[in-house]
Parts: sequence; C-alpha cells; structure tokens
Amino acid sequence: MIFDALKLSLFVVCCSTAIVGIAGVAFSYLLAKSSFRGKDLLDAFLTMPLVLPPTVTGYYLIVLLGRRGILGSYIYELTGWSFAFTWEGAVVAAVVVSLPLMIKASRASIESVNTDYETASYTLGKGKLETFLRITLPLARRGIFAGLVLAFARALGEFGATLMIAGNIPGKTQTMPLAIYEAVASGDDHRAQVLAVVLTAVSIAAIYLTNKISRTAFYG
Amino acid sequence: MLTIDVKKSFHKQHDRLFHLDLSFSVNAGFTVLTGPSGAGKTSLLRMIAGIIAPDEGVIELGSTVYFDSERRIDMQIQQRNVGFVFQDYALFPHMTATQNIAFGVRASASADRRVKAEEMLSLFHIEHIADRLPHEMSGGEQQRVALARALSCEPRIALLDEPLSAVDIETRSKLLDEIESAQDRAKIPFIYVTHNEAEATRLGTNRIYIRDGRVAAAEIA
Repeated sequence: MIFDALKLSLFVVCCSTAIVGIAGVAFSYLLAKSSFRGKDLLDAFLTMPLVLPPTVTGYYLIVLLGRRGILGSYIYELTGWSFAFTWEGAVVAAVVVSLPLMIKASRASIESVNTDYETASYTLGKGKLETFLRITLPLARRGIFAGLVLAFARALGEFGATLMIAGNIPGKTQTMPLAIYEAVASGDDHRAQVLAVVLTAVSIAAIYLTNKISRTAFYG
Repeated sequence: MLTIDVKKSFHKQHDRLFHLDLSFSVNAGFTVLTGPSGAGKTSLLRMIAGIIAPDEGVIELGSTVYFDSERRIDMQIQQRNVGFVFQDYALFPHMTATQNIAFGVRASASADRRVKAEEMLSLFHIEHIADRLPHEMSGGEQQRVALARALSCEPRIALLDEPLSAVDIETRSKLLDEIESAQDRAKIPFIYVTHNEAEATRLGTNRIYIRDGRVAAAEIA
C-alpha cells in the first residue's frame, strides 16, 4: 500500500513536472517578452490556482474536464474516456496547481536577463527562437531550475484538486497525501507516520536543492 | 556611403519630450560621433542597427535601404549585417571567447565556424584566452573579443558605442591600434561613439558633434 502510493505519486509528479517545465517556460517567455491584448488576464488566469483553495480549483477541473464537463463531454463522446477518476486526472490537477510557481520563478529570471545579450544575438543574424534557446534560456537557467523544484514539491503535496477530479482509489489514483489522509482516518497510525516522514524528507530535499541552486555561482 | 536622415521623439525623464533630428552622410573610414551624454549618439547607433526604429526618415548604406518611412521599408535587424560593439561589450557570459566569436560567423558547418573564430582570435592577438569565459578576462581582453565577434560576421558597417570607456589608459592606446587596423582590413564604415577627445582626434577622419539631438558641428573629409 505504501509503495503503491509512493510509486503513483512519483509517476504523477514526474509527468506533471515535465509538462509544467515545457508549458511554464513557454508561458514565461510569452509573458516576459511579448505584449498582446489580454496579457494581464492570461497572467491572472494562470496564477489563480496559487491563491484559490485547491478544492475550488478541483471543482473547476470537474466542470471543465469531468464526464459531463464543458470539454470533458466531448472527450467522453469521442473516446468513451474521461479524466475523472484516472491518474491522468491527477496529473492535470498537479499541473494546474504547480504551474503558477514555475511561471513566477522562470518569468522573473527570463526578465532579468540583460536585453543587450539578446540584441547582440540579433545583430549577429540570429532569429528569436535561436536567441531564446542559446542565449536567454541558458542565462535564465537558475530560475528555471528553482521553478522546477518548487513545482515538483508543490505537485507532490497536491491533495484537494486531486481528490476532486481523480478521487481516492487505492493503487489507481491514491497519491501519498491522499494515502496519509486515509491512513489517519482509518486509525493506521504507523502507515500515516511512514508516509509523512517520506513526504517530509522529499520536501526538505527540495528546499535544500532550491537554496543550493540559487547560491551557486552563476558560471564555472 | 552611409546616409542618415532621421527624426524620432522620445519620452525622457519627467515626461520631457526629446526630439532627435539628425542628417548627414559619410564614406567608409572612421566617423567619430561626439557630444554630451543623452544627446542621441547611442540612439543613432541603435537606429542604424535596427534595434529601434526612427519615427520617420531614411537610413541607407550604399545601395541598401535599411529604413525608409515613405517606402515603408524597415529591414530586420538580423538582415542588416552590422557589427555592433556594445558599451559594456555584452559578451555572452556562458560562452568562451571562441564560442562568442563563432556565434556570429555565418557558416553552416560548425568546423568552419571554429576555424574562422580561431582566425579572428589570432588577428586580435588573443589566442591565449580562447577557452576563457568573459568573467575570467581583463577589460582589454573582453574588448578584443567583442570587436572580434562584431567583425566575425563580415559586417557591412561597424558600430562602436564607447568601446574603450571601460579600459585603462595604457590598454586604450593599444586597442586603438587594433581598431584602426581592423578598419583597414575590413574597409567598411566604422561609426565610433566617444567622449574622449584624444580618441576623437586620432580616429576622426569624419567628426560629427551631436548636441540635443541635432548635428551641432560636422567635419567630413
């Protein structure tokens, strides 16, 4: 039981961190480097899960992706499958709640890259994409790593939104935080303790890692 | 032949409007731009490079039109092929001297880029710092790498924004030699912004004094 929850948690969190890494960097670039109508709105929309109670975020996910949801009903009609009560649903919940942390960290670091470096790259004939990949991204890497670690930790601890969209099915959607809740509720103190210690260890490691990254000398 | 005839209004501090209205034309060789800070020298370089656009006017280099508001031409920065030396060099901090220089070389094969970069390193007498990162170089070395990088793409014009302001006086005179011989090899216009009267006198085949966004005095050979 403990291993099931641990394995599922790590799997879900790795999937979500990979998605958050790519989507987070793309959104950060968009928010940091371009101006378009509705930019502030997009920013607010993406940041919202940071302040919204996770159960409310989860409720909106059901409204959007549930079997009878706005998008979910189409998906269900086409495929006979829905995000509700699946590990994929748990991944979606983890992505939505951890994306804002990634965006906050990576956007700030992308914005802090001296624009002269990018301009220099343009004068040397390089386009925007190449300049981003070869100049901006490597120079912003500390903030991007820090964002990834924070997103990983936040996703690992995700409870409310996951419970709403993915439920609490042991071996299928029961991640570690849900398993702790169930262990306590059913009076299995030993299991709760072991799970809590494991999660605490991972969280401390995450904090240690972010601090180390932000203190490391930039080059060399 | 570089022909400039540009107008641009900026909002400066305290919302004061600043008008830039510059026109002159110069040939290949050195053109020194002098004048008080905030007079519009750096803005002019940035307009030639295509980093900022004038409100109206014309920028032409030979038969190539970089900018023409009436004909709605505004060539992209990447296509202009200018060699820009920034005031603080803007060397890519995560790349070695060789990598910085190779970054600008227009060759598709990476071996060709490396060969060209090594050639530039030896032209500027900096082979010994090939594998150093910018923060491991002295000011004069950084300056040489910046110059080599700007010229490695075989530009049609070189724009130097106070390139020697951050190096000590002894290094300065050596670097001036390097810059002069680089111009001699490249035979393209070098537009050189400086506050330093000695540099201006030494390099100034053409001298343009800019004040309050206007050409206040010009000596053109």
